[in-house]
Amino acid sequence: MGLLSLGTPLTWEEAKPHADLVRERGIEQLLNIWKKAKSKERDILLWGDEIEYLVVSYDEDSKDARLSLRQAEILKDLAHDEELRKAGGCVPSLQEINQKPGQRVPTFHAEYGRFMLEATPGAPYGGTLRDLLTVEPDMMKRRVIAKQHMTKNETPITMTSFPRLGVPGAFTQPYYPPHGPIARSIFVPDEIINPHIRFPTLTANIRSRRGSKVCINLPVFYDEKTPTPFKDPTVQYDLSDYPEDGNVRNGAVKDGHVYMDAMGFGMGSCCLQITFQAKNISEARTLYDQLCPLGPIMLALSAASPIFKGYLTDIDCRWNIISGAVDDRTEEERGLKPLNENKYVIPKSRYDSVSTYISQDPGFRPEYNDVDIHQNLPLKQKLLGGGMDEQLAKHFAHLFIRDPLVIFSESINNYHVENNDNFENIQSTNWQHMRFKPPPSAEDAIGWRVEFRSMEVQLTDFENAAFSIFIVLLTRTILSYGLNFYIPISKVSENMETAHRRDAVLSEKFYFRKQVFPPRYANRSGKGSNTSPGGSISNTPKPVELGPVEDEYCLMTINEIMNGQSGQDGFPGLITLIESYLNSVNVDVETRCELARYLDLIRKRSTGTWETAATWIRNFVRGHPDYEKDSRVNAAVNYDLVKAAETLGNGEGKGTDLWKGLFEKR
Amino acid sequence: MLPPSSIVFRTGNIIIAGRNSLEKSNQELLNSLRQNFEDASSRATGGQMSWIEARGDTLYAPSIEEPDGLSEERAEYDITVKLFYLPGVPVSKRRDHTREALQHVLRELRVSSIDLLIISFPDISFDAEDHSPDTEPSQREVDEWAETYRALETLQMEGQVKRIGLSEFGVARLAKLLPRTSIKPSVDQINVRDCCVVPKPLIQFAREQKIELLTHNDCTNILPSSALQSLLLETHVALGELKKVDPQWVVKYTAVVQDRGVVENKGYFAMARIGID
Repeated sequence: MGLLSLGTPLTWEEAKPHADLVRERGIEQLLNIWKKAKSKERDILLWGDEIEYLVVSYDEDSKDARLSLRQAEILKDLAHDEELRKAGGCVPSLQEINQKPGQRVPTFHAEYGRFMLEATPGAPYGGTLRDLLTVEPDMMKRRVIAKQHMTKNETPITMTSFPRLGVPGAFTQPYYPPHGPIARSIFVPDEIINPHIRFPTLTANIRSRRGSKVCINLPVFYDEKTPTPFKDPTVQYDLSDYPEDGNVRNGAVKDGHVYMDAMGFGMGSCCLQITFQAKNISEARTLYDQLCPLGPIMLALSAASPIFKGYLTDIDCRWNIISGAVDDRTEEERGLKPLNENKYVIPKSRYDSVSTYISQDPGFRPEYNDVDIHQNLPLKQKLLGGGMDEQLAKHFAHLFIRDPLVIFSESINNYHVENNDNFENIQSTNWQHMRFKPPPSAEDAIGWRVEFRSMEVQLTDFENAAFSIFIVLLTRTILSYGLNFYIPISKVSENMETAHRRDAVLSEKFYFRKQVFPPRYANRSGKGSNTSPGGSISNTPKPVELGPVEDEYCLMTINEIMNGQSGQDGFPGLITLIESYLNSVNVDVETRCELARYLDLIRKRSTGTWETAATWIRNFVRGHPDYEKDSRVNAAVNYDLVKAAETLGNGEGKGTDLWKGLFEKR
Repeated sequence: MLPPSSIVFRTGNIIIAGRNSLEKSNQELLNSLRQNFEDASSRATGGQMSWIEARGDTLYAPSIEEPDGLSEERAEYDITVKLFYLPGVPVSKRRDHTREALQHVLRELRVSSIDLLIISFPDISFDAEDHSPDTEPSQREVDEWAETYRALETLQMEGQVKRIGLSEFGVARLAKLLPRTSIKPSVDQINVRDCCVVPKPLIQFAREQKIELLTHNDCTNILPSSALQSLLLETHVALGELKKVDPQWVVKYTAVVQDRGVVENKGYFAMARIGID
């Protein structure tokens, strides 16, 4: 979560008239940063992960696991920890953070859900391979510190979605009835929302702008005794406290689906995100594009959320739930009504897959941007007039078709072009699966960054570290070999849908590029340097005849993508490429051995030797004696599941049945 | 003009040369040479062999161009060079070969020094070395290593090499060689197929001696004479029917941008003697 400024938030109706102003100022702030930072060079590799936790609260008498709503108290307690304070503090929103170099105190942040915590490694990791070995211990330390500041019956778990969020009855501690005025949800109380004014406002304004509650229907997983056709029995059709209560009477609920109606179902999910600093803007654009096709692949491989609102569903991932949970598009924008008040029919939610590539590498072909996207043309003109190139201007002009959702009245009369608040207002409420991040200000030491956002948080820190490290190693491999993973962007979106399907990791195929090495004689300018080194004349590339784009990719299994296809000319596999990179650099024995453990997890996940958390959770529920084979995850099953997640998360349970599947062939 | 007596082969920067870099080092070397020969001969404008250049009594294949060097300041890089002494080459030649090989790398990367020079002796491998007492090196072996090692110490004192490294040395070998050195090796590079089985005594010994244990994936016989002969036949490098080429050394170099972990330049040189068969 970005910086939480304070002030008086405007309702959607009040904010609407200022939308153009915020966007114009945002673009002006962006141009100011871009002009000064576009020539920033030679920034080193720094990177960090973000892990989100659910805080659960056990009631040992009734054997129930609920969501604790004590986020604020836990953060306050963390901020008052004397030892942590001495080491430099660990809650940036509540205290001065002044960490000493060489010392990394994890930092904790509030998240949307009042039952969530986010933790990051206080200071970023460096660029050496040895630094990678500090990732898992750092993550474990965060979990321990978080736990130390909770009550005895509370614990942090890294489960992507809380199985019983939104079930009838109590699923929070303490209990609050649903159907408050902010979310107006039939299922969840407003008290699950972080009370910082930004979050309730965001929730209410998305609903107001949309003109109805958000609407998410997930296909139910039909088990032996699931009623057919399944009609979500938890929906109340007869409420009439708010106009939105009519939504369910007007077709919001689909047969065969689990219905959800609030932002909290999505933004209450936990992810694992990785942010890298690139050496310059050009390398950042390269990494953004090259990691883009990996987004869906890593989503399927990290799949961890098969249960929502107390039901086993037929999907494995959270992504589309969040997408639906923050979908602020009006009926006109969704194409349900002819355009009248709105400017565009917008095919995607603000939270969705990337729709346009941004790099100017020689490997890029205009055909890859095969999706027509709306752009805010007057603002694009400003960017072009300010000297920005077409491709990057298009990216930002696309983000800037969205309205600002939260405006603080104080900020309207307090505008500084040197800040980035107006820019971030739009930028950070475009939740695409990659994020291209300019330096926070023109003067900042922080460089151009890229965020990889699709992965689900894993049950254990070993897995979270493995996924983070895999992505970091992949970026180094991409940059060293000048790899090219481009496929048409529409295929990336298709892959994103595919990734959600139950057990997609083993049963689905994904579009992936076949030939990833650059053409011979490509010079290094294609590898993200701002200036091309003077290549000798004899090395000038002969123009390569490019075949049809359709011939460049094919459908592959995740096993093939990770471990390679058979045959001389088959795709060599991402793990093979990474290992080849590791063979080209100096790696000490211990580091190589540890890295092999992490790569092995990715390898075994992709071959199916080890299960995804989604499969593991599904199997856990279906094998539980209290499960009634009717898709419902009752309190008893949930309690044991959460306990199991806690055990595994604490690095325990080795050799027990819990371990089977996840880290041992079942 | 003198009849050529040696030939220097060059791969150029292979880090962006695609699939070749996925192979083991011997295959990587041969494939990269083949590719570089083919590219050079297809670009050549003169006769069939015009892509090979004669300077003095040395041939260069392909001919030496003005290298691009590195794209950023020298200080940004970690440059590692690994020199493979080949079997059957007299030990007395190693001093000259070491200098010669290093000069080619310095010229190619346009730098005046490298960070780490690792040497690989022929016919020794790491496998199970620490477990069998009969691998205790002979006095002659140790004498040869010590003699070769002195050449590295000289290069280090001259400032061309910052750190010295050995490869495939287990405890027995290290224990014999270390007393004979005046500058301790900083690195011992070992080939570990499964790197979690490095012998404990070696880990312990290396720690005490402050020697960093690095991994590699090279093979010991990096350029057999027969493989080179058939490559030359295949790529139509005609050195006269009676000429035999005898590989003397192979050098591999890697330039990595330290703070970013990006490999920018990687390649090989190899030198062979040309003799009458």
